[in-house]
Amino acid sequence: MKSVWSGFRAVVVKDIVIELRARHVLPTMIVLGLLIVFVLRLVSEPSSGRAEMPMMAAAALWIAFLFSGLLAQERSFGVEQQNGCVDGLWLAPMDAGTVYLAKLTANVVILSVFELVIVPIVLLSFDLRIEGRWLDLVTVLALGNLGLSSIGTLFSAVVQLARTRGSLLSIVVLVVLMPMLIPASFALLVLLGAMPDEVAGSGTMAFVGSFKAARGYMLAFDAVFVVACWLLFGVIVEE
Amino acid sequence: MMNMTSETQRSTNAALNVRSVSKAFTARPVLEDVSLTLAPGEAACLYGVNGAGKSTLLRIAAGLLRPDTGSIRIEGWDAKEHPETFRRHLGLISHASMVYAELSVQENLVFAADLYGVSNRVERIERLLAEMELTPFRHDRAGILSRGLLQRLAIARALLHEPVLLLADEPFTGLDVEAVGRLIRVFEEFVGRGGTLLMTTHDTRLGLRCSQRAVVLDKGQFLLNKAKDEIDPERFADDYLSYARGEN
Repeated sequence: MKSVWSGFRAVVVKDIVIELRARHVLPTMIVLGLLIVFVLRLVSEPSSGRAEMPMMAAAALWIAFLFSGLLAQERSFGVEQQNGCVDGLWLAPMDAGTVYLAKLTANVVILSVFELVIVPIVLLSFDLRIEGRWLDLVTVLALGNLGLSSIGTLFSAVVQLARTRGSLLSIVVLVVLMPMLIPASFALLVLLGAMPDEVAGSGTMAFVGSFKAARGYMLAFDAVFVVACWLLFGVIVEE
Repeated sequence: MMNMTSETQRSTNAALNVRSVSKAFTARPVLEDVSLTLAPGEAACLYGVNGAGKSTLLRIAAGLLRPDTGSIRIEGWDAKEHPETFRRHLGLISHASMVYAELSVQENLVFAADLYGVSNRVERIERLLAEMELTPFRHDRAGILSRGLLQRLAIARALLHEPVLLLADEPFTGLDVEAVGRLIRVFEEFVGRGGTLLMTTHDTRLGLRCSQRAVVLDKGQFLLNKAKDEIDPERFADDYLSYARGEN
């Protein structure tokens, strides 16, 4: 158990140190995120009254988060391809599941740094306030982060280890993530003041129902994604 | 009968036991029913022309490739049944250094030590840095090291967790005379301490110097598997050269 923890910690620290030194993805992620926010802020200007701003901000945040996140995930196993490091990883006496969880943790940390930069920029650009609901915002962003990272880490392994085309990653991840994006968008719209906490009637958002339910759905999706990817990772590596 | 008994004896005491391994890539057979047993403290060298299946056999022995049939055991631990214990017992020196360019020499070793849960990692790292004469380069990033230094780091990484079996795929490639001499000493010390070595090379002179057993692999099968004292080194070198040139 001690050795599993030691291996897990080693991979997480190694990935973060390499990213901080080589800056493979964070600068690119931030530039892409800023571009997305800037473009959406620009197009929202002529039409908008104040009412549309939270909606555009929610869209900007999730789009920036998704596409920048995908960039990070794609590099996740890319770093293992240099000098055959991936063999060194598979030779270590720990199971593939531990490698997956370590890579996932490193990706969550890197994506969290990106969120720390991009969220204040979005709020400032769209002139929005989070009235006393910072903890809810952090929870929603963390749940979104975990969902994207769990799927992204698995598909990064598939893409890099099978040397498949990188574009496959984006397509598959977006399709798989789609069900979680609905409650995620709902929750963010509520937090940015575009929607009430509870919505009745018909339509996609009404299906989610309430902020509490949205958070619950996200948590459930995360649990399913993490467990399924953790199990699948071993099979993929074995093949 | 005598032979069978001695082979069974070798298998039970084996550090490495490769049993009836076959492997094919897209229906092209690379290894066909190959068996090899190495005792603790035994060093064997695998020869063969490019494409003979040497690297494939080494990757299978390291548990990095799954054989289509057959089994691999290190000190009785099966690669499939006890993969983690199996891997804990082996070290691999491959064509690739398996080190991260962005990390320093020392950080690469600390990372490897943590992967293997090496308990006395500070002492092990210090000793290996000294043995490989890497101490002056400990804070240099692996990305700026020369081929020879990188190879020394790869060897240190492979020996860090004190494996019982060391697999080395063409370890002398690209090394200067001094580095070759150092590597031979490392191998001799490793085997002298009771470690088992399986290496591949095209250089019969170096191979025979480092090993007590010569194994020639051709088209996925063993052409020869003999102890060094059963072969004439001069003749073996000449025969191997002719074979490699395709003359027989």
